[in-house]
Amino acid sequence: MLETGLIIRALMRNKIGALLIALQIALTMTIIVNAIFMIQDRESQMLRSSGVDELNTFYLTNTIFGQDYNIQSALQTDLNTLRKMPGVVDAIQINAIPLSGGGWSSGVQTEAGEDKDSIGTAVYMVDDHAINALGLELIAGENFSATDIQWRKSGQSTWADKVIVTKALALSLFPDDWQSALGKTVFISQNQTIQIIGIVKQLQAPWNGWDGVERSMLVPFQMESKGSRLFIRTQPGQRDQLMPQIEKLLAESDKGRIIRRMRTMEETRERSYQRHNATNKILTTVVITLTIITGFGIVGLAIFSINRRTKQIGTRRALGATRWQIMRYFMMENLLISGVGIVIGCIGAVSLNMWLVKTFNLAPINIELILFGVISLLIVGQLAVLYPAKKASMISPAMATRTV
Amino acid sequence: MLIMKNISKVFQTADIQTHALRDFNLTVNEGDFVSVTGPSGSGKTTFLNIAGLLETYTSGEFTLDGEDIGRLNDNGRSRMRNHKIGFIFQSFNLIPDLNLFDNVDVPLRYRGFDAKERRRRIEENLERVGLASRMKHLPSQLSGGQQQRVAIARALATDPRFLLADEPTGNLDSEMAQGVMSLLEDINKQGTTIIMVTHDAQLAQRSPRTIQVMDGRVNEIDIHLATTNQQAIA
Repeated sequence: MLETGLIIRALMRNKIGALLIALQIALTMTIIVNAIFMIQDRESQMLRSSGVDELNTFYLTNTIFGQDYNIQSALQTDLNTLRKMPGVVDAIQINAIPLSGGGWSSGVQTEAGEDKDSIGTAVYMVDDHAINALGLELIAGENFSATDIQWRKSGQSTWADKVIVTKALALSLFPDDWQSALGKTVFISQNQTIQIIGIVKQLQAPWNGWDGVERSMLVPFQMESKGSRLFIRTQPGQRDQLMPQIEKLLAESDKGRIIRRMRTMEETRERSYQRHNATNKILTTVVITLTIITGFGIVGLAIFSINRRTKQIGTRRALGATRWQIMRYFMMENLLISGVGIVIGCIGAVSLNMWLVKTFNLAPINIELILFGVISLLIVGQLAVLYPAKKASMISPAMATRTV
Repeated sequence: MLIMKNISKVFQTADIQTHALRDFNLTVNEGDFVSVTGPSGSGKTTFLNIAGLLETYTSGEFTLDGEDIGRLNDNGRSRMRNHKIGFIFQSFNLIPDLNLFDNVDVPLRYRGFDAKERRRRIEENLERVGLASRMKHLPSQLSGGQQQRVAIARALATDPRFLLADEPTGNLDSEMAQGVMSLLEDINKQGTTIIMVTHDAQLAQRSPRTIQVMDGRVNEIDIHLATTNQQAIA
């Protein structure tokens, strides 16, 4: 027969120790649930696809220092050479790299005028090979044609008249029906018109922490600039082999420029989420440490409590308690203390999450995570008390007649 | 009926063997009131611990109420203690955090009685020891004599066949000791077998049978006769 009532009444007369451990459990619950929530939030961000064929792509910076350099002709030569190379799927010049942390953005609006709301979007200046070179999926409309591509001078403020947008940007512009964006004329720089001729499934912006990371736009520009990036996609499995070859080829083919900062998209992703990874490791360490400390706290309190009650345990054994009934007593006592701590912890966890949601614009915590915290701490509590409870059950009933 | 034949108990440390009981033979019949006396270290408490199944013995045969104790495992001994034996301890051994009602309730819960039956037994036995009106009090709010009465109520609540008392009056003044002794005599008259370990010769004299334990062996004496002879010589 369970002794719940007796345990509660006994605990009520000896509150301090139990209350302290319950508060420790509550604090642990509050912290670990929110820490795991933050870890999960970052993990889900890191698992998002960029839309680019990351396994088979890399990029490099082409910096021109030669005088009287024909930028347009040199770029076309480089691209033609790369596109013809065995193992290369496609190559483009691009102004920014997804997830790299640096790039261009602009505001797009469905109505012209300074007083109208615009929607922020990343801007990728590319040619008609971009969809193939990046590995994007065109889900509506059409690609640029070669005649759509214009040269963009440094400092130029006018835009091309056609764009391809991501589905997320189409949905932001036309929330009722993203497909209706196709063929629509929208406005950039408040009143310049651009027509949406295609929609791609996904292409992330260069900034992973931005809430509009999925909003991007391809603009048919090639840049007449002394510093540019070339983005190359290879056949599966050939990237690592081709990278040094391409670097050498480009460097040797033209002595008026430097090829540097060659990096794969995989490295870019890793660098992009370096802080997320570090934070997650710290949070994981906090969760594990706190759980262990709480476990040791429970063990300590239970051992202290058992040592204090050795004669009482002997008396219970003398009165007929089996070893299992003694074990069960201490496990039930722990369950009740943990239960109080967990209830307070649930309130704490939700309150802390409400503050985080309000302050840092995080999503609200889900009930599954709170349930996970409840079950985990109950298990930790029961495991922690197992050894002391077993020790208590081994106390001899003869202890009842000893003078201690 | 309690029968011990050639019981011995040896405590073994790293290199020392201590014989607490040697060839201990004793038969206690149903309804007996036996006092166990003897000097400190003679083996009285070891005998009581073995008789109460609180401790195992090294060799010999021990039968309690027809049950061969040597064949019982730890659970079996716990069950036997709960069903057939009541304990009264020198320092009462009440649980300080529980009130009188809950203290008496402890062995009844191990027995598995339902709440109604437990309540009936608790109230009846606290009534029997004259403390029914104080069942919500904590042990610390009672005198020593009253605490021992609660311990007696707790021991009786399970209707034991045997009541084992370890110096039940050792921590009480003489007036309270007489009161507790009278209560034990009443309980014995109602059929419960009592084995009482005591240092107090006067108390031992009040029991119909006394055994003396010396160096771990039984020396049965007629304490009434011995006392009378001593008075005559004086």
